[in-house]
Amino acid sequence: MMGILACGGKPDAASPKHAGQFRVALLTPGPISDQAWNAGAYAGLMRIKDSLGAQVSHVQTKTPAEFEENFRQYGTQGYDLVFGHGFEFQDAAERVSAEFPRTVFVTTSGGRTGPNLAGMDFAFEEGSYLAGMAAASVSKAGRIGAIGGADLPPVKASFAAFEAGARAVNPGVVVIVSYLGSWDDVSAGKEQALAQIGRGVDVIFQNADAAGLGVIQGARERQVLAIGANANQNGVAPGTMLGSVVIDLPHALLTVAREVRDGKFVPRVISLGSRDEVVSWTGSPALSRPVPAAVALRIDSVRARMRAGAFRLSSASAPHK
Amino acid sequence: MIALLIVAQVLRISVPYLFAAAGGLLSERAGIVALTLEGFMAAGAFGAAIGTHYSGSPALGLGAGVAAGALLASVHAMATIRFRADQVVCGIALNLLVAGGCAFTLRLAFDSSSNSPRIAALGEGLGSGLAATFANPLVWGAFAILPAMWWLLYRTRFGLRVRAVGEHPEAATSVGIGVPRVRYLAVILSGAIAALGGAYLAFDQHKFTDGMTAGRGFIAIAAVIFGRWEPVRALGACLLFAVAETVQIRLQGSTALPSQFVEMIPYALTIVALAGFGGKSAAPSALGRSEG
Repeated sequence: MMGILACGGKPDAASPKHAGQFRVALLTPGPISDQAWNAGAYAGLMRIKDSLGAQVSHVQTKTPAEFEENFRQYGTQGYDLVFGHGFEFQDAAERVSAEFPRTVFVTTSGGRTGPNLAGMDFAFEEGSYLAGMAAASVSKAGRIGAIGGADLPPVKASFAAFEAGARAVNPGVVVIVSYLGSWDDVSAGKEQALAQIGRGVDVIFQNADAAGLGVIQGARERQVLAIGANANQNGVAPGTMLGSVVIDLPHALLTVAREVRDGKFVPRVISLGSRDEVVSWTGSPALSRPVPAAVALRIDSVRARMRAGAFRLSSASAPHK
Repeated sequence: MIALLIVAQVLRISVPYLFAAAGGLLSERAGIVALTLEGFMAAGAFGAAIGTHYSGSPALGLGAGVAAGALLASVHAMATIRFRADQVVCGIALNLLVAGGCAFTLRLAFDSSSNSPRIAALGEGLGSGLAATFANPLVWGAFAILPAMWWLLYRTRFGLRVRAVGEHPEAATSVGIGVPRVRYLAVILSGAIAALGGAYLAFDQHKFTDGMTAGRGFIAIAAVIFGRWEPVRALGACLLFAVAETVQIRLQGSTALPSQFVEMIPYALTIVALAGFGGKSAAPSALGRSEG
């Protein structure tokens, strides 16, 4: 908790201001070295800098008060585009966007829009469904787990899709879902993983950002499998990872930034998923206990239908707005 | 088997609390408020990770963690004893300094604001799975530290002096005890001990990550207060908090209760415990008074 206070100071721009230069800022809810959600967004910011020649700035924030203060700071400095990286940034973005009409505010999860406010909606459920299929097919115990940082609607929807995918492969599978109440307490992540493993779980899907690294550490120590989220985490613990549900955040952020720079931005809910190849299930090549061929084929076929827009998840696992 | 797993989990969760509470208890008995525990732990975790990374030896890393805690504690001691800074304000300032300093140094050294590279762990290879918990020397150390603190406070000359300067520094001075010296020692030792709790967290994850202490230093202060500044009672308090957390973890995913409600259990218990059993009368009389 103290770490964030210390890091949440004034945003520092990466380079001095040039008149007319396109400027983009990013607020993340956690450290950009989480090898997951926040790292992906930061990679996106770097790609915006490299591809569009933008001047970029990043700040790590924790509390809603910090969200608002930093949004306002960037608005005051006349930034063209500010990303709030997560569902939890919506209230602050909505309030501040009304004060700075020349700045576009985009939250990377959520459905609120305004004249200069857009939300992104990743079909993370689609990748989670495929992850569930893979998890159920390799679980010897028929018990799989999911550990989230907090009980947020997108996380819940992802876990529901994970469960639905698992049931499609093994109708009798038991899915245990736990939440940590923290996105950075690695120790809590590990203890929760060990508790699930103690209950017979042998594949764990983590969606807890930095705390998720603790989940993966726990899985690694007890030699069960883990599934990464948001970024490709297959390299975090090669023998442990079954795969990752990847959001191509760099691609998504760059797409939006390009629209804003070219003056083609339209406020809307920006939906991105398998069809745009922004969300995908990426199995780990380093695994000794791979997904059985028959299930791998089924995963490929569901994936193809998702890409064609022909696969609908049931309402239970559809995103909540 | 399940029972053993649960016991092991309670033990692991209590390790950082026990070390931090032991350090906090010593500092507070000498009259210096222990709000810096969170910082001491973070320094310990950071020192252990960095030390292990560069030396390749977890034992040396542990030493580096303890040294980092002691160093930070000596700054706290200097500010509050020599310069009579407000103990609470100084404690909070140091916590912020450590949090920012760790992120800054990590970025310089490893180009990452929050994770150190993977490190070897102390006691690694002594056992795997459940046995690893019981083979870990830091787990044993944690359960010995509060009884050792009792012995230090009630059976040694130094302990008597610590209690004297915490209760009545004027009286201690009048019989020739160097109050500042005793306090310096107590605070520096407190930083070194609390740092062990942080080092445990780093070894447990095989790395340092930003925010890994996650408020455990503050829970440890609650344990000291709930334990009425007595080592054995504080040990019970740490165990109680660890049990509450274990219950929380075990209830997740196995009950119809909303997850937020379950997550609340350890915090609610802390508040109930403090409201019901704390009480000013038990605190060292000179606690927080810098003019002593």
